[in-house]
Amino acid sequence: MKGQKMANWAAVTGIIAGAFAIGGALYARSVDSVFGIPQFFGVYSDYLSGVHVLVGLGVIMVVGGLLSFKWPSVGGVIVCVAAMIGLIYTYNRGQYRWTPYLYYWWGPWLFAWICGIFAGYAAYKNVPQSSEKLEDARHAEGMGG
Amino acid sequence: MTEILRNEGLKRVRMRLITAVVFVFTLTCSGSFGMEDVVSSSGPGMTLLMILILPLVWSVPMAFVASELGSMVPEAGGLYRWIRRGMGEYWSFQAGWWWTLSLYVDSAVYVALALDYMQNQWGFGSAERAAIGIGIVAVFTFINIRGLELTGWTLTIIQVLVMVPLLIFTVYGITKGTGSGFSPVLPEGESFLTSLNLGLAIMMWMYSGWESMSTLAGEIQNPQRVIPRALMIGTPLVIATYFVTVWASIRIANLAGPDNYLNMWTGGGGQDFVVLAKVVGGAFFGYLMLMSAILSNIGLYAGYLATGARPQFQMSRDRLLPRFIGITHKSWGTPWVAVLMMAFVNAVLINFNFNALITIDVFLLMFPYVLIFLTVMIMRVREPDTPRSFRVPLPTWALGVWVVFPIAIAIIALFVNGMDWMIGGLAGILTGPIAYLVFKNIYKGTTDEALEGSTITPAGELTEFGAAVEGAGS
Repeated sequence: MKGQKMANWAAVTGIIAGAFAIGGALYARSVDSVFGIPQFFGVYSDYLSGVHVLVGLGVIMVVGGLLSFKWPSVGGVIVCVAAMIGLIYTYNRGQYRWTPYLYYWWGPWLFAWICGIFAGYAAYKNVPQSSEKLEDARHAEGMGG
Repeated sequence: MTEILRNEGLKRVRMRLITAVVFVFTLTCSGSFGMEDVVSSSGPGMTLLMILILPLVWSVPMAFVASELGSMVPEAGGLYRWIRRGMGEYWSFQAGWWWTLSLYVDSAVYVALALDYMQNQWGFGSAERAAIGIGIVAVFTFINIRGLELTGWTLTIIQVLVMVPLLIFTVYGITKGTGSGFSPVLPEGESFLTSLNLGLAIMMWMYSGWESMSTLAGEIQNPQRVIPRALMIGTPLVIATYFVTVWASIRIANLAGPDNYLNMWTGGGGQDFVVLAKVVGGAFFGYLMLMSAILSNIGLYAGYLATGARPQFQMSRDRLLPRFIGITHKSWGTPWVAVLMMAFVNAVLINFNFNALITIDVFLLMFPYVLIFLTVMIMRVREPDTPRSFRVPLPTWALGVWVVFPIAIAIIALFVNGMDWMIGGLAGILTGPIAYLVFKNIYKGTTDEALEGSTITPAGELTEFGAAVEGAGS
C-alpha cells in the first residue's frame, strides 16, 4: 500500500487523540466526580456524564486509530467524527457552552485533526485518480462515479 | 460576445471592468451597514484608524495575492484551484469545503439581516417573514442561474440604490454634523486591547471577500486581466466608502452629545445609519436609508450566491464531490445545480434560528485564507517564472513578510471571538477531513494532467486550453 507510512502516522495520532480524551477523563474524575449534568440533547443517563463521554469517545478514537493501520480512511473518519461529537456535546450541557469541558477537548481535537490529515494523505496515495475525460457538464451523468 | 466552453459547459461572458468592480465592491463592502457596532465597542477614533490601517495588513494583502494567483491560475473555482496547484488535492479540497460550508451559512445571514430590517420597520409576522425570505432567495436564485450578465446588471442597480443614500448621508455629515469624528479615540475606561476585541472581529468580517470574485474566473472572458484590475480599483474604493460614511455617522451621532457614539449599534434600539439618517434628513430620508440597508444585504446575498456555488461545482467536475453538482444549464451555461443547492439551504436556514451555525462562519473562512497566503509563497518559490499578468510588486522575501501579518491576524482571530465561535469552528474544521475521506474513496479525484479547464500544466506551460482562452496567464 503506497500510503502505509501516512496510514501509520494517522493511526498513531488517532490513538494519541483517544489517549488524550481518556487521560482527560481520569483527571476530570479526580477533580470532580460528577463533572457536569449527565445528559445529551435531552437524554439523561449516568453514562452521559462529562467523564463517561470523554472515556467513551476516547475509546472509540483509539479503536479508530488502530483501524487506521489497515484502513486509514475508515479509521480517520471514526476518529474525526468522535471528536466532533465531543465538541458538540459541550454545547448542550445544561450550562450553556460548557467552557471547562472544552479544555479537555483541545488535545483530542488537535490530534484527531492531524489524524484526519494523515488519513487524507494516505487516501490520496492509495486511491488512484482518474485521468478520463469527463462528459460535457451540460450532459453530466447523474450521480455516478 | 459569448462562447461556450465545451469541456465544462460554462458560458464565458465578456464582463466590463465596471461590472467587475461592482462585483468586488458588493462582495467586500456593499455599503457600511454593520460598522455602527464597531464605533460603540471600539470608540470613534479607533474605528476610523482601524478602517485605514487594518486594510494594509489584512485586506490589501489578500487583494494583491488574489490578483497574482488569479492572473496565474485563472480557472473556474478560483481559490480552490490555486490551492490545488500550490498545495495539492487534499488541501484544495479542505479549502474549497470550508469556504463553501462557510458561505452556505454566510449567505443566509444576509437574507436574515435584510428581513430583520424589514420586520423592524413593518412588523410583520413569522409567516410573512418566511414567505418574503423565500421570495428573495427564489428571485436571486433565478437571476444567478440565468447568468453572470444579468447578475452583474442586478448588482449594479442595487449598488447605485445602496450608495446614493449613503452619499447624501455623507454630505449631511459634513454640513450638519459636529466634532472631528476621531474623538474620543477609545471608549472611556477601555484599554487599546479590550477595545479591539469585538471591533476587530467585525472589521475583519467587513474587510473580507477579496478572494470571492476569483471563483467566477471560469465564466469571465480574460479573467486574468479583468479580476486583478477590478480588485485594484475596488480596494481603495471600499476603504474610502467605509471611512467617509462612518466618519459622517460619528459626526451626526455627535449632535446628540459627545458620548452618543456609545448608542451606535445595529439590530434595533440603537443609533444605526437609518436612525441617524432620520435625525438629519427627516422621515423620508430615513426611509431611503432603510431601503439602502435592505438592498445592501440583498446585494451581498446575490453576490455570495454567485461566488459561493462555484467551488463546489468545480470540485464536482474534479471528481471530488457528487457528479450532479457539476451539471450546468444547457442554454445559460451556469452551474445551476450548485446554485440551487445553496439557495435551498439558505431558504431553510432563514426560517430557523441558526445562531449556532453563524459561529462557524468566520472561523471556517480563516483557514482557507491562511492556505491562500501559503499558496502564493509556494508558487513564488516553486514556479517563479510561470507567467502572471499581475505580480505583487514585491520580491518574494518581502511578500513573505507582508503575508505574515494577515496570517497572524487570522490565527489571533481564532482565539478572540469567544467560546461559541471556538466550539462551532473546531467542529466545522473536522468536517473537512471527514468529507475528503468519504468523497475521495467514492469519486477518486482527477489527475493534475487531466484537470478540466486547466490553463497551465504542472510544468508551468500553457495548456492548449489555456492558450485558447485569451492566452491565459500571459
